[in-house]
Amino acid sequence: MIKHERIERRRAYIFLSIGLVIVIYPFLLMVMSSFMTATQLLNNPQLIIPVPFTFSGYIGLFKRLDILNLFKNTIIIAGSVTLLNVFFDSLAAFALSKIKFPGRDALFGFMLFTLMIPGVLFFIPTYTMLYHWGWVNHYRALIFPSFVQFYSIFLMKQFMEQIPDELIEAAKIDGASDPRIYASIIIPMSLPVISTIAILIFMGAWNDFFGPLLYLRSPNMWTIQLGLQMFASSIPSSDAQIVWAGEVVITLPILILFLFLQKYFIQAFTNVGFK
Amino acid sequence: MKAFLRTLNRSKWGYVFVAPWIVGFFIFSAYPLWLGVKLSFMNYNLVAPQSMRFVGLQNWINGFRDPLFWRSMINIIYNQAITIVLTFFIALAIAYGLFKISTGKRIWNSFFRAAYFLPTITSVVVVMLIFGSMLAPYGPLQNVLRQINILKKPIVWNLTPALIMPIIAIINSWMYFGVQAIILLGGLGTIPTEYSEAARIDGAKERTIFWKIMFPLLRPQIIFIMVMNAIGGLQMFTQVYVNFGITGGVNHAGLTPVLYIYGQGLGKFQMGYASALGFILSMIIVIATMIVFRVLREKD
Repeated sequence: MIKHERIERRRAYIFLSIGLVIVIYPFLLMVMSSFMTATQLLNNPQLIIPVPFTFSGYIGLFKRLDILNLFKNTIIIAGSVTLLNVFFDSLAAFALSKIKFPGRDALFGFMLFTLMIPGVLFFIPTYTMLYHWGWVNHYRALIFPSFVQFYSIFLMKQFMEQIPDELIEAAKIDGASDPRIYASIIIPMSLPVISTIAILIFMGAWNDFFGPLLYLRSPNMWTIQLGLQMFASSIPSSDAQIVWAGEVVITLPILILFLFLQKYFIQAFTNVGFK
Repeated sequence: MKAFLRTLNRSKWGYVFVAPWIVGFFIFSAYPLWLGVKLSFMNYNLVAPQSMRFVGLQNWINGFRDPLFWRSMINIIYNQAITIVLTFFIALAIAYGLFKISTGKRIWNSFFRAAYFLPTITSVVVVMLIFGSMLAPYGPLQNVLRQINILKKPIVWNLTPALIMPIIAIINSWMYFGVQAIILLGGLGTIPTEYSEAARIDGAKERTIFWKIMFPLLRPQIIFIMVMNAIGGLQMFTQVYVNFGITGGVNHAGLTPVLYIYGQGLGKFQMGYASALGFILSMIIVIATMIVFRVLREKD
């Protein structure tokens, strides 16, 4: 039985390694190309090794693309959306899981129902509304419409339901109010799920293209995704190495977050399912 | 009355804590929805608002008759048919592989899991830029394929209507099979090992054990994946916008419904017509989601 298992496992390793090549190759191409000269990119794209090795792509990011400003804009937007969601989503999740109030179940049912409405329904009227409010070309057009999200509330609520009621009852007997319980019991005990949600939301905002394309008009307001795409579609091929370097630089922060917080990233996708 | 007030006082924080969601819902969901309904009955040009007038069902009728809108619908269905099948079966195979090695060394286990997750954390813009260069007529992939004589001459896939949606589908599969594999792996982990062990003792083959015992137990994960496909896939935008711009490329072969609605709204500023199209597309998405549930859910 054990021997049989080992053979099976070896076959799985071989299969997964073949798949790995397909997954990794585009990333390898990206990193290698970012150190190539424009001439090499144009003439010898089958070569994977940069000859000569150059940083001109990375230097070009600062000279031609103003990458620091794009980063600043992205961090302001993605950071604000993440912080607002962590706070407001966890408050709502606490109320829905641990505070009994009339109408709670009906409200939760309604929230679940709103999850069924496709997002495409909202973007034209929301754009029209924010256009009239004068929010177009402001960060706030990308921050406030998504300051609280039901899907995150839902995931947090499921987690918080596992927190023993006795803990909360004991705190209440000691005279703790609900805000106090939230700050001293719920938040510390929910850190795993809060980290997962924070990562998901930050990554979503960081990688978002559609929102910035809709609302951010002037180049000095652009986010990294929008800025890189605009740059890529306008430059002559003699600057191709700058685009490759840009791809590396905007993927790197998320990659670093992922390497450190892998467990939380993957956790977000391991316990899903509809019965 | 007193009892009621006491309940209210005891539960007041409950209301306070859910209030932000309720306020957000009214401002950024309910009101836009109402505005969308209103706009769909209007001829409304965002940059020439003085021309606004009520047109009744005209936008809706035009939408149902718009050949380009239906063209975009057929494009996305063609694309999704390939994407969904390709992604799912690759994901299933990878999930099974990851499941098999889960009894082995921990380090390899987490290494492969992390590696297969990488495309999921990469933005659509970056993926499209990488694949754009990789698949270019004189890019690395076609060069190699020509050297080993699989390809005869360079193919400009993004100017070949018949290839646009299949190639986008392959890129989509590359992006999403990893995360689907992780979801399916989560499902495989919940299946009691006694099931497959008992079958193995009875002499069942590996393949039979997988398809007859494990696969049916993945139903919750499969429903989740397919519902997400129906909702997200039909709303594909960035992949085609980045490659083909607002027109959807040669012969509109890369035009998707959301790209078309975007063009009507932000290209031509026809907010009324774009809203009506948004409703039509949403109805189709809801119907597709319900079909997925109906087909896949547990039969009593």
